[in-house]
This record gives sequence, structure tokens and C-alpha cells, in this order.
Amino acid sequence: MKVDIHDPFFSQKMTALHALHGVMDPELFINIIDLGLVYDISFLEEEKIIIIMTLSTPHCPLGEAIRSGVGNVLRPLFPEREAEIRIVWEPAWSPAMITEAGKQELGI
Amino acid sequence: MDNVRIGKAPPVWAVLPFFAAGTIFFLAMAVMLLLSGDSLRGNYFDPRLLAIVHTAAIGWGTMIIFGAAYQLLPVVCERDLYSPRLALLSFVLLLAGAVLLIGSFWYFRTGPLMIAGGILVVLSVLSYCINLYGTVGIFHKPDIQRLFLLSSAAWLLFTVTIGLLLAVNLAYPFIGRPHLEILTLHAHAGLAGWFLQLITSIASRLLPMFLLGKPRPGKWLQWSFLLQQTGLVLFLADSYFNGSSWRVMLYAAVFSAGIFLFMYYLYSAFRGRLRKTVDLPMKQSLFSFVFLWLAIACAPAVYFLTDSRWTVIYGLLLFCGWISGLILGQTFKTLPFIIWNFHYKAVNGKIKTPLPRDLYSASLVRWQLTGFILSLAVLGTGIIADRAMLIRSGVWLWLIVAVLYMWNVSRIFSHRIKNNTDESGHT
Repeated sequence: MKVDIHDPFFSQKMTALHALHGVMDPELFINIIDLGLVYDISFLEEEKIIIIMTLSTPHCPLGEAIRSGVGNVLRPLFPEREAEIRIVWEPAWSPAMITEAGKQELGI
Repeated sequence: MDNVRIGKAPPVWAVLPFFAAGTIFFLAMAVMLLLSGDSLRGNYFDPRLLAIVHTAAIGWGTMIIFGAAYQLLPVVCERDLYSPRLALLSFVLLLAGAVLLIGSFWYFRTGPLMIAGGILVVLSVLSYCINLYGTVGIFHKPDIQRLFLLSSAAWLLFTVTIGLLLAVNLAYPFIGRPHLEILTLHAHAGLAGWFLQLITSIASRLLPMFLLGKPRPGKWLQWSFLLQQTGLVLFLADSYFNGSSWRVMLYAAVFSAGIFLFMYYLYSAFRGRLRKTVDLPMKQSLFSFVFLWLAIACAPAVYFLTDSRWTVIYGLLLFCGWISGLILGQTFKTLPFIIWNFHYKAVNGKIKTPLPRDLYSASLVRWQLTGFILSLAVLGTGIIADRAMLIRSGVWLWLIVAVLYMWNVSRIFSHRIKNNTDESGHT
């Protein structure tokens, strides 16, 4: 996921992005940003931070843990905003979405 | 873009009892082998050997597989588990049924207790089937993994029903065919219908997921399904109506072709994996399939040689080599995640959390794998060479494997969140 430097919420998005690097996929032991699970971060709605993301497998048993991890790292950083996590299946996640850093971590 | 439900993992009370009980049965099986190692040198229709085989098949294999299946069914079917309460009921029934059956075989008390054990196991399997069919639901597009799941449950129900009839027949003979012939059909329906088809379903879905493999052509699994069913149905029908004949080798070849396609599917996913590092539990799981092929290679000896040692070797390779090997590995790919999810789901990101793999000792798994290979090699040699000392040594090694496994499983079960967690840190 890339953040445009001209984005009016560039600073907030970078803060959120940095925090989301701390949420790990427990099976692959790689953070959800480098795994390519996060598609978008939006500050457009007032009092909300909306995370649009996916999971590597529908009905992943660890899906709830990853979702709560996202909320847990964002809430203290943006106390004035409600963290809303939207899970989507389109586009479906594939290993091609793993970042270069993620590939290095996985030894790909 | 929709905000969709992501599904919930089943509650731990619906899954963990199976792992706890299965582990105890595994240790019990090792102790029973130690107490009656001589049974491995005689005919397979020996009360103590029957007790050991049922401990392996019901108390250990089916028990752990039920637990893992309840956890993984939502992943395979992409739906929540139909009824966690029904899962718990199936546990209670299976536990009571297994204890009664195994005890009855060990002391060879045919009659009401053995039959009651058989009835409880059938009721447990019925509960499992209802839960499975409720979870699978109606699927409109072809899904070979779900088909294997449904078929394996149907074979399990068939197997335990025949088993119950055999238990009745021991006390009140009513089956017009020789008891041992039906026993052979009962065993193969369980091994080839229940265990193999369930393993085909779960492994073909999970292996590519764990190793980040690319999707492989589904037609290999479709052909595998067709060949496995054809081989098994023809074997059972022909053997029942016409008795055992050379044709069983033909059916075994058809069935083996089905296994080969399934294995080729796994191999292809393994070769195309992105994640190059394969952890030890996964290595042990994959290695277990070697024993399945060794058992198939033994099949002609079992049929053509009258020596019962080959039947015992055949059973050893399937129950201790293949099924136990697979469970010994896969336990550490499922149980730590269940416990980790239970403890850390809500606090993930808030506190420093360990990884699921930190919940067990990799070193113990390594020793367990070494002991497993050594034990089977020594046991197998002892049975073929008919050497009591080797058999006894192999059984002792097997007991060590069971203790190491139980130690590691207990370690996972007893995991607690540490008090000195770092509130500001992340994973």
C-alpha cells in the first residue's frame, strides 16, 4: 500500500501505516502491511478511520485476532476517531501482493 | 466493497477436549503395547491387539481428527461450524464409547458392554455427520474438497455401523459370512474411506495455504476421488459377495492410482510453494505419507503370504506410521493456534504477544520425530525377524515418543499470558 505525499491526510496515514506494521499474521510471522492485506486507509469520514483490508484465507481462524489487532493499534493513536475495519474479498489476496520486504522476510 | 463477516473460529470448549483426550489415548496405546508386545507376534485377531487397534483408530486417530475437523471445517467450507454443542456431544459419546469398547476388547467381554460402546460410537459419528452436513451446506459450484469431506463422513458412518454389527455378532452370531472377512472390510472402509478421504480433503486445502502454494488443477483431485471410490466400492462389494480373490489386487491398484493423484497434487503444490522454509511439524506430516506407500507396497505380501506377520506390519505402517505420523505433526500446526487465539485474540496489538510456534518446544518435536522413525524401524524389523527383544525395544521407543508428545501438548495447554507483558510494545 502506497501513500501519496500530496494526500491531505498524508501525515495521519503514515502514522497509521507505521502502527499497522506492528500487527502480525501469527502463522506467517510477517506484518499485515508487508503481507499486502491492507488495501486502503481512509480519513475522509469525520470521526472515523476506515481500514479496508482482506485476509489471506476466507474464514481464517485467526481473522478475528488480526482484526482486533488493527483496532488495538489504531485506537490509542487516533482517540478522536472510531476505527472501522472493513474486510473485503475483492480483489482476492494472493502471494503477489506481498511487498519486497515481506518476500525477503519469508525467504521468497 | 462490502464489509463482510469474516467468520468465527469455534469456541475452544468444542475443540480442545478432543486434543486432550486423544493425547491420553495415545499414551494409553503405548502402555498397552508395552503390556502386550507379544500380541504383535501372533494372529491379528487377538483381544489385546484389537483393543490396541481400536485405541489407535477411535481413541487417538478419530478423536484428534474430530477436534481438528471442527476447527478446520469453517476454513474448508467458508462457513461457521453448524453446532459447537453438537461437537461437544460427539466428544462425550466418543469418549464413553471408546473406553467401553477398548475395555471390552482388552478383557474380551463380548456382550452388552461391548455393544453399548459400539452404539455410543455410532451416535457420536451421527452427531459429527449432522454437524458436518450442516456446515458444508448446499454448494452450487463444484468443490472437490467438500465432496471428499462428505464422502469421508459417510464412510465413517458405514465403518462404525459395521463395527457395531460385528460387536453384536461376537456375542449373538447372526452374520452369515465369516467374522474375519467382515472385519477386513470394516478395517478397510475405515482406513481408506474415513481416514484417507478426510485427509485428502483437509491436506489438499491446507498444504497450499500453509506453504503459500499456487492453486493446482482441481481435476487431479476429481480423478483421485473417482479412483478412490471405485477401488474401495469394488473391493468391498466383490469381497463381500464373492469372498477374497486375486481381484483385490486389481482394486488396490485402482485405489492406489487415486492416492497417487492426490499425492501428485500435494507434491505439485509443495514444489510450487513460495515459502521455501518448511517447519518441523510440516516435515513430519509430509513424511508420514511414506508409510502409506510402504503399507500399499506390503499389500501383496498380506494377500499372497499366509504369514500373519505381514498383516501386523501392514497395520503398524498404517496406524503407527501414517495416521500417527500425520497427527504427531499436524497437532503442532493446529493446537498452538487454537490456544494462541484463545489467549491473545482480544489483546493482539495491545501487548507483546508470543507467536503460536512459541507455545511448543521445537526441540521436543525434533526428538519426537527421531524417536518415531527409530521406533518404527526397530518395531518393523522385530516383527519381520520375529525377535521379541527388538519388538520390546521398539515399543519402549514408542512410549518415549508418546511421553514427548504429551509433554509438548501439556506445555501448549498450560500456556498463560505472562504478567510482565509490555503494554506499549507490539508483536
